[in-house]
This record gives sequence, C-alpha cells and structure tokens, in this order.
Amino acid sequence: MKRTLTVCPYCGTGCMFYLVSDNGRLVGVEPSSSHPVSRGGLCVKGWNAFAFVHHPERLTTPLIRKNGTLEPASWDEALDLVVARLTQIQRQHGADSVMFASSAKATNEENYLLMKLARAVFQTNNIDHCARLCHSSTVTGLAETFGSGAMTNTISCIDETDVIFVIGSNTTEQHPLIGSRIMNAVRSGTRLIVADNRRIRLARQADLHLRHTNGSDVPLLCGMMHVIIAEGLADTKFITTRTENYAALAESVADWTPERSAAETGLEAADIIAAARLYAGAERAMIFYSMGITQHSHGVDNVRCVASLAMLTGNIGRPGTGVNPLRGQNNVQGGCDMGALPDLYSGYQKVSDPENRQKFATAWRVPALPASPGLPLTRAMDAASEGKLFALFVMGENPLISDPDQHHARRALENLELLVVQDIFLTETAALAHVVLPAACYAEKEGTFTNTERRVQHLCKAVEPPGEAKTDGEIICAMAKKAGYDGMSYASQSEVMAEIASLTPSYGGISYDRLAPHGMPWPCPTPEHPGTPILHHEQFTRGRGHFSPVSHSLPREQTDADYPLVLTTGRTYFHWHTGTMTRRTHLLDREEPTSFLELHPDDAARLSIRHRDRLLVTSRRGSIQTEARVTTMVIPGVVFMPFHFAEGAANCLTNNVLDPESSIPEFKVCAVRLEKLP
Amino acid sequence: MKQLTPHELEQFLSHLAVRYELRLPILLADGTRTIGSPDDGSVVLHGGAVPGKPTAAFFPQQDTIFTASQGTFSQTLPPVKPLCILGFTPADLHCLRFIDRFFGDGMRDDLYFRLRQGAVVAGITGYCGVRGALLPPAGGNCDFELFWSGENWLVRAYGATGAELVAELPNQATPKEEELFTQALATAPDSGAILLQTASQLLRTNRVPDSFWEEIGERCIACTGCNVTCPTCTCFGVLDWRSATKVERSRTWDSCQLDGFMREASGHNPLGSAALRSRRRIHHKLAADPLKWGEISCFRCGRCDATCPTGIGIMAVAQELVARFG
Ligand code: SF4
Ligand code: SF4
Repeated sequence: MKRTLTVCPYCGTGCMFYLVSDNGRLVGVEPSSSHPVSRGGLCVKGWNAFAFVHHPERLTTPLIRKNGTLEPASWDEALDLVVARLTQIQRQHGADSVMFASSAKATNEENYLLMKLARAVFQTNNIDHCARLCHSSTVTGLAETFGSGAMTNTISCIDETDVIFVIGSNTTEQHPLIGSRIMNAVRSGTRLIVADNRRIRLARQADLHLRHTNGSDVPLLCGMMHVIIAEGLADTKFITTRTENYAALAESVADWTPERSAAETGLEAADIIAAARLYAGAERAMIFYSMGITQHSHGVDNVRCVASLAMLTGNIGRPGTGVNPLRGQNNVQGGCDMGALPDLYSGYQKVSDPENRQKFATAWRVPALPASPGLPLTRAMDAASEGKLFALFVMGENPLISDPDQHHARRALENLELLVVQDIFLTETAALAHVVLPAACYAEKEGTFTNTERRVQHLCKAVEPPGEAKTDGEIICAMAKKAGYDGMSYASQSEVMAEIASLTPSYGGISYDRLAPHGMPWPCPTPEHPGTPILHHEQFTRGRGHFSPVSHSLPREQTDADYPLVLTTGRTYFHWHTGTMTRRTHLLDREEPTSFLELHPDDAARLSIRHRDRLLVTSRRGSIQTEARVTTMVIPGVVFMPFHFAEGAANCLTNNVLDPESSIPEFKVCAVRLEKLP
Repeated sequence: MKQLTPHELEQFLSHLAVRYELRLPILLADGTRTIGSPDDGSVVLHGGAVPGKPTAAFFPQQDTIFTASQGTFSQTLPPVKPLCILGFTPADLHCLRFIDRFFGDGMRDDLYFRLRQGAVVAGITGYCGVRGALLPPAGGNCDFELFWSGENWLVRAYGATGAELVAELPNQATPKEEELFTQALATAPDSGAILLQTASQLLRTNRVPDSFWEEIGERCIACTGCNVTCPTCTCFGVLDWRSATKVERSRTWDSCQLDGFMREASGHNPLGSAALRSRRRIHHKLAADPLKWGEISCFRCGRCDATCPTGIGIMAVAQELVARFG
C-alpha cells in the first residue's frame, strides 16, 4: 500500500487527500487530517476521486481519423500530423486561424506550457480556457474595481465573520467543504443572507432568503446600496481613505429605492432593507458568489455591484470580510493565473503592453510575440461556425456539452478543418475530433493546482498512466519540439514552475520546495515571502478601490407566449460538469443517473405534469427530453436543469448571448416551454 | 505479562516482519496518521485511533471480486505472508470483533476472510492516547496487546497465536507494571457508553420524533464520510467494468447516506429522504443491531464525529437526542 498526498481533482475548494494504491492500482482515498480546508473530511466526490482512474474506457493510444473513423496511431504519427496541419492552416489562413483551448482541470505548469506553445511557437494569442464560461466576469469586474480578480479572503475567514452574504452560489453542493463550513458558522451564531431563488440548503438555514427573479441581481444590490447610504450605514472613513469615484456610485444608486428594487426583483422592499441593514451592520461581513452572479449577459455589472457593496461598508482587507468569488474547477484560478487567456500572460500581464511582450519574448527566446489579444473561447466558437477559425486544439475540455447552444457548438466543431482533442476519455467532443491524444489524469502526474483561496498546492503522482497515455505537459512539449522550437524541454515540472516564477510576479517566490505540505497563497513575490492570505490589506492591488456604477439591463431572452418559462442551468452535487469522470464513478453515477428538470408544483399542476414524467423541453435553439422533478426548490415560472448529461443536454437549450465585456454566455437565463411526453 | 523497552519493541516488530506483512500506525507527509507499512512513513504508535477505518486492512475501499477473461476466471489470491496489524485501539478491537461476527455469520464473506484468516491483530492501549490519555486495556479481542505504561510496552497475549508470538520475549513485566495494567483494566465504563445506551433506549422506545431526523437530515451533506470511516460499516456496492477482453467485478464501500443506496428500479425508495437516511444511520447501530446481534454496534471510536463536515457524527447526534428527549 502506498499513500500519495495530492489534491482533489474536482472543485476549487482544493481539499488534499492521500491516494491509496496497491501494486500500481488505486484502491481508495484517505483525507488529510491537517489540511486547513479538508481538516479530515471530504465531500462525496473527493471520497470517490480514485474510482474512475482505471476505468476500461480510458484512452490509451493516440487516435487519428481515417475514412471517418478514429483509428489507433503512434505518438509520432499523431503529433507529426497535428503539427503539420496546424502549420499548414496557419500558412494558408494566418497565425490567428488556429485556437488553443486550455483546461482548468490541468495543472498550472500545463496551462503555462500550452499558453507558451500558442504564443511562442504558434505565434497566436488565441488561447483561452473554460474560465471564460464561469468567472471571466469576475476577472474583468474585480480587476477593474480592486485590481485583482480573485477571492480576497481565505476559507478559514468563515470562522471569524459575523455575517455571510451568499449570492448566486449553491455552496453546499458546489463547494461542499466551504458550504459546510458556512453551515457550522451559522450554528455558532453567524448570520446568513442567501440571495438565490432556488431553495438551496443554505437558504433553508439562512436568516434571510431573498428569492429574487433571475437576472435581477443589479436591482437587488443597488437597492441594498441605496438603503445603506440613505440610512448612514456606509463606512465613510473607508470610502474616503481607500476608494475613488464614490460620488458617481452614490448618484447611480440614488434612484434605486427599496420600492423600485422590490418591483424589479419581485422581493418585498422590507426584505431588501433588512438585508442591507444586516450586511452593513456587521463588524465583519463576507460575500460569497459564484455562477449566479457571473453567468449573465451583464455578469461584469453584477460583479461591479458586489465589489461596490463590500467597499461601501469597508468589508475588504480584513479577516472575516471580503468579496469571495468561489472558483469552480480545481484549477480555474491557476488557469487564469497562468495566462491561459487571450489578452493576458501569466500573472495578468497584458499582451497589449510592449514591455511585457519584450519580457516574454526574451525569456522564451523568440524574436517577437503577437500583440493583439486573441479570441475568447466563446467568440472562437462563433468564428468557427462562421468559417473564420480553422483549427482548434482542445486540452481537457468538452465544449460540445459545456458550451451554450449545442447545435451552434456542434456546427462550429464540425466546421473546423482540424479538431484535436487531448483528454482522458473519448468525450463527446473527442468523438468529433480528427486527432485524439490520450492524456494522463490527475493521479498520474505531478504539478500544482491553485485553489479558490489562491493556495498553490502540490499535485503528486500516485500511479502510472494507462497504455501510452502521456501527461498534458509531455504532449505539449513534444509538440513544441516537433514544431522546431527548442525552448520547451524540462527535466521536471518544478523546472517549469521555476520558469513561471521568473516571469510571474505574483508567483515569484513559489517553488516546489516551499509547497509542502499544504501549499501557499499568492501573491508571493519573493522566495522569502510567506504568501498573502488576505488581499487589499492596506491598499488595493490597483491602489484605490474603484467604485464602478452600473446601469440595469434585463437578461437578453425574455419569456413570451411561446416560451413561457425561465430556464436556469447549473450543476448537482454528485456530478462534475460534463460527467466525464463522475458518470464513470459507480456511486456518483448511481446517485444521479439521468438528466432532470426541476419545476414548481404550481407549474406542474397547470401543465398536468407529474413527478418523473418524461418531458420535452424546447427553447428557441432546440429540444431535448428529460425527466420532471416536481419540487419547491424552484419558484413558479422558473425551471432548473443541470448540464452534466449528454443525453438530455441542458446546453441544447441555452442561449449563446455573451456579456459584451467578459464574453461569458448567459447560461443562467433563457426561455423554454414544456410538453409532457406520452 | 511481558515487557519491552521501545527499542526492544522495534526488534520484536522486525522479528514479526519475517513471518508477517506488518502494518502499523505511521505518520504521513503532512502529519496525518494511518495504518500502513513501516516503509511508508515513520512509525508512531502514540496518539490514539488513526483517522481512517482500521478494518480497511481486511476490507479495502475497493476490492476486486473476480476477473473473467476469455474463458478464464480468476480471483485475487490471499497474500503470501499473512497480515500482522498493530494499531487497533480497544474500541477498534470491539469493532473488529463485531465485523468478524458479521462477515462470518451465515454467508461467510470470502473476500474479507481472504485477508482476515491467519492475520495477527494487536491492540495498542495504555497511556498513549491523544496527548497521553489512557486507552484502557483491551483485555482480549486481539492476539496480543501492547500497553504503554509511560516507560515500557507491556505485552499481554490472548489465544494460542498470541501466546506463541509473545512466548519468545525474554522480559517479564514487573509487579508494579502489572498492577498499573490491572488498575487501568478496572476503569469504569466511560460516560460515552452510557450516553449511547440511553440514546439506544430512546430510539427503541420510539421517543424520538420524525422532526428531529428532519433537522439532522437537513445538516447532512451526504459526504459519506461517516460510513467510510466507520469500522463497523460494512456495506458495499458491486460494479462491473467491461472491456473488449474481460469483465472485472469489484466492490466498493457504499453509504446509507446516499439516495441510491436503497433506491429501487421503480424509483421507489424506502430511504428516500435525508431525514430517513440519517435516522437509519443512527437507528441501525443503536436500535437494529442490538436486536439482531445483542449489542450496540458503535464502539465510540470517534471517527464519524471527526470526519463529519457538519458535526452530526453519531456521538453528536446521540448527545442532542438525549438532551432533548431523554
Ligand atoms: S469539497 Fe471539492 S475539493 Fe473538497 S473533496 Fe469535495 S470536490 Fe474535492
Ligand atoms: S459524515 Fe456527516 S455530512 Fe457526511 S454523510 Fe455522514 S452525517 Fe452526512
């Protein structure tokens, strides 16, 4: 029996556990008892994180499409083909005719390597990853207001706060060990406000549950800010000494009386007032938010309001306070930190800045780097469907199931001259690919993941990859070599981290020998620096905190006679995203085996739908079949679906409209109708 | 009773390692303790129960039942050397005794006895609990126990195998040390045992309303940690992995806190709510098992209380239940 201390591959909470292996096979998981987040516990996904690793459907050899079918090939053959085709397409259509999709499931090192491959070797800034679909609004919104698009405080701050305001996060299901920590705090007297129209577990334990209509976060938050200012609850000292542009904010919320806010949100004015008083009255208050805030066509505006609310009350820069966007994927924070983004190098250094380009070009030993920002992933899919993008290299993502408007995504993927997918299983996207590259999973490689509280943690290898599968890092470096670039051979992953540290100020002091046992939070600029658990302590990363007033816009698609219900999408506790791993894990798959749709008993009665009836759900984009779950989790007029299931795929229905600033799709609101199937 | 200095214990362990595959409490990289091979971490016998399920030694989280491949059928063979496991606390030994009965009664569980048969089990007791707290002597349920007196390990054997292993040890315990052991043995049952008996009584006399289980269920996030760390939780799920050339059947620890645990193909579920599942978790140990097996099947090892992210392990629930309905 061998035990390998490593990091959970599922959510951004970043629990650490030991993988137990026997003769090269994983046989179980044991939590770390000393880890500051896991503290001897795990959620059900963590306890079962070993179970998919040796699944017989793992990819074990490269595959090349020949006469329409994917056939086994050698690594040389596959990589020669990929590099030759990419080069040829670029020669024909320009450097920006190819796109690289990186992965929030891959390590920091691998994200860094793929962005280096895209930029240094293939000379394009067309690199992005699934943060585009989850927290791009945060990256944009908090960078503008605070100067840093990350969780400001730590998970353990939950133990020392007075009021917690959760908006648009089903924390106990999506960040279970953070959600349970909030539950414990509430039992010890911390007050809880939940704004979410689903009756999620935290809502059931909250002092105040605000079930505002979908997409009305701006009116709710502006209404709260109006009350805070009107009632003299704002922290004037903090505003004067630490922030700028307050007058503009005050003016922008002046019209948002509780009554107007109530009319727009469907809430009672009294509840908005109560929430404002509770939050602003606290000595220390924390905000947690997630996709309910970001996944809107005005996601960045939502984030700006959250940031303003915290600054208005001085809830930044101290223990037990902060604006805490909960990052979804295990390494989505790291994917962003590493510059797997079309406009930024690692450490959020802009590609548009000539000095940054020079710095990276010198370090990477290339004459020049491309200057104009690349395509966000969502816009790349549009470009592909319009025939303007010709090749897509996908590392560990499954856009056919995870992107909005599946028909559109399929059209885009099928339109490509070259689709390469590097993954651990033959996903729905991989099944469309011209070349499939078999990758090692988290248990089979070394690297680092950065969790939601910016804690950079060491991922360790427990077992060998199956067959000929290689780590994402090895594959990327092999491609670079085949493309004639000699600046990407590393003896170890710690060497890659050393290069990252040398180019990325916030990771400047991070090295593998400092990460034992449970990692450290960035910014960590120098080898002596202890890391920074709480951001914006004496001043904001950008200097002064900036109040950004917003105007109110409605979700792009509204209900009407043909599509009378609002569909909102999300996830369940037992599955991870497109189910590649969890649907191959016995207990998790057994728990939630099929696609379903939650609807309110009133709607169900009106439509004569009973629990577990088969339904046809139709939006302007398509139709799918699913099963009815009649429940008061949702409010009348709103239905909810998880997006995990390829059969009954919620993303067949969702609307591919994007926030103009962050390019995040509006996953949280579209209009549908239901029909009962015989 | 024999006696060993810490150094002599090391020698005794190396001696055992010749005949047995030795597993004992070790310290892992970040200070987590577990029962493992001495090659995988430094041996730390002090500190009380390890956080993981100690009975996992005979019943791992995932175990292959058989592999069928192109006309052949194979099962995992017993280990070449039988296991010798140190590190069971007295509570853990009760758990082991209980699941020995469970797995041996009627349908004998081959997979469990493949590892259990012929294995040597040693208890660790004495003044070596958390921060030196006393772990009362086991007085049985094992082949031998090691009792830490504060200076030496006293060795008490039970049964033929234990006697044979211990016979070779040269030094007898001093009368003073024997006295220490006897005194510790006479320690009164702790308040935890009484609490569980009271809770058991309340459950068996139907004094706990459904609303209580609603509240507990509301706090269960279905992490399954209580089940997977419990030494007397023995439920498993069976799964088949099929590839072009073979079928591999294995079993994996299951949890009664999951909806799928009891869900029937029709969709009907006798444990279809978190309240019912929480009730079952406690009821099974405190009310159903006493009826079937004549004893409460929770021996207060403390693991579910330690791992539960929301503080509703069995002792916490029993406490709340007794405080409110007792
Ligand atoms: S809470 Fe997140 S990181 Fe922790 S075990 Fe669960 S999925 Fe893994
Ligand atoms: S450990 Fe606690 S939260 Fe987890 S399943 Fe058991 S009772 Fe529920």
